[in-house]
Amino acid sequence: MSRRFKIICSIAAGILCLLLGMCAGSVPIGLGDTAAIVSSKLFSNALPEHIPPITASILWNLRMPRAVMAFLVGAALAASGATMQSVLRNPLASSYTLGVSSGASLAVGLTILTGFTLPVLPGYTLPLSGFLGGLGTVFLAMGLAGRFDHHLENTTIILVGMVLSLMVNAIFTLLTAYAGDKLHQLIFWQMGSFSGQSWSNCGLMLAVVCFGVLALMRYGREMDLMTFGEAQALSAGVELKRVKWILIALSSLLTGTAVAFVGVIGFVDLIAPHIVRRVFGSNHRVVVPMSALFGGGFMVVADLVARTIVSPQELPVGAVTALIGAPFFIWVYFGRRRRERYA
Amino acid sequence: MLELKNVCAGYGGADVLHHISCSFSEGGSYCLLGPNGCGKTTLLRVLSGLLPYRGHALLDGIEIAGLRRKQLASRMAMLSQIHVVQFPYTVYDTVLLGRYRHMRERWFGRPSLADKEVVERCLEVAGLSDLRHRMLNELSGGQLQRAFLAHTLAQEPDIILLDEPTNHLDIRQQVELIDYLNMWSSENGHTVIGVLHDVNLALRLSRRVLFMREGCVLRQGEFSQIADDAFLQCVYDMNIGEYMRSSLQQWSIDP
Repeated sequence: MSRRFKIICSIAAGILCLLLGMCAGSVPIGLGDTAAIVSSKLFSNALPEHIPPITASILWNLRMPRAVMAFLVGAALAASGATMQSVLRNPLASSYTLGVSSGASLAVGLTILTGFTLPVLPGYTLPLSGFLGGLGTVFLAMGLAGRFDHHLENTTIILVGMVLSLMVNAIFTLLTAYAGDKLHQLIFWQMGSFSGQSWSNCGLMLAVVCFGVLALMRYGREMDLMTFGEAQALSAGVELKRVKWILIALSSLLTGTAVAFVGVIGFVDLIAPHIVRRVFGSNHRVVVPMSALFGGGFMVVADLVARTIVSPQELPVGAVTALIGAPFFIWVYFGRRRRERYA
Repeated sequence: MLELKNVCAGYGGADVLHHISCSFSEGGSYCLLGPNGCGKTTLLRVLSGLLPYRGHALLDGIEIAGLRRKQLASRMAMLSQIHVVQFPYTVYDTVLLGRYRHMRERWFGRPSLADKEVVERCLEVAGLSDLRHRMLNELSGGQLQRAFLAHTLAQEPDIILLDEPTNHLDIRQQVELIDYLNMWSSENGHTVIGVLHDVNLALRLSRRVLFMREGCVLRQGEFSQIADDAFLQCVYDMNIGEYMRSSLQQWSIDP
């Protein structure tokens, strides 16, 4: 099967997942009706008579922003995971390794506990504090690693990132002890959810994902060389320290923005890149966008499961990504190895 | 020409090289000899700009630390021991990545015709033309090292630094690699500077040697002119000459 055919199939599968996320739910909406509602909203056409206005409202105001946000967040996390795994030459690395989630959680925790609200755009208080907390922790980790190790070697970055992350987590745990009646809000944010997303959030996230993924693709060759080792990349002519900073900043921007909007959702950043490498090889100018596509589709399906399987209750989507993703990953990753061994 | 003047370098604040001065003129091969921990690899890392240093390390009179990575990559490349392959690439893609310094920085830029021609030539030289679509993690140790040799050659450097590239290779592959590098340097007037543990293999690469011990250069020159049993005893704390001769006797076959 040619790579181009695989890419076309993957794009089709991604669109299918997105449509599924929009149409399926406690109130099923057919594809035809979905198209009619979208057309009526975009082009101000009259709604067909058989579609109640409430259905149109459910689709346009709840389902679509939710599905689109799930897709974008999955894309951001997966592209970021692919990058961090290559930059740090560690198949288990992600932005979370450097403390994005713990930093974001601490900042959001402080915001909730102090009751601080932005004077303008108060609805963005938690996303903004999560974003700043997450990115701040990564840059602190990188700054400290740079002080300890002039060359910013991967082992130093990972060690400093993990230690800082654990420390920030410990402070967050201490905070929860004093959270009182705000504890529920804190834990709910940490579990991650796509509910209550708006089109304006989606627009912001779309801009970050497009910028982040395109910028990462620009550094595809550098990432390819970095997977051979730092000495090899330097010897080939990569300005390693500068490129490493840029790549870590870009992937932290993607993860930080995702975490800011929906909380901490793990696993997709780990599995999507590995599965994509299995299918498409390791060229990062393919791996990064395809990971984004796969991660996006996977996240929409995970969210669909989270909101429908025990409806009207909703499961934490982070738990669903792990529950679906872990066996799927083992099947794809180790199943193929076994097939190769016995071929 | 590569020249070190009074260079000190090391790791974590502790010097491994102590006031090293030596030079490598253009063309031909050199090998660095000495016991483990004497600073051979550290010296190579200074020459390749991978390690900060005090003193002066000069490439054609220009301080190596002041050169940008692409400038340095246009003159020299490093071939190390077998790499751990974290993620699978095809042999062709691996060799093509050696063209990095020649490629324009574009989002969706494709390799030029010239890049493709160089890659084809390097694949042929390394005997990997038939394995171009094979993944690196499906290659044997020897094939993998040849893939990285082709990657290094695709960079089109004037100087290749060898950091024990023959580890994990069988004896035939070791000899083939060294012979090829000798041919590459003599045919093109290029330079090879190698760190090899096996003294016999090192001498097959070059008779021009630099002996090191405890971070200092002891002697540099033609092996036959600077090394005798007493000197080798002093370098390695064992009688290398005696060991080599007794090893050779084991190969004598009675008529």
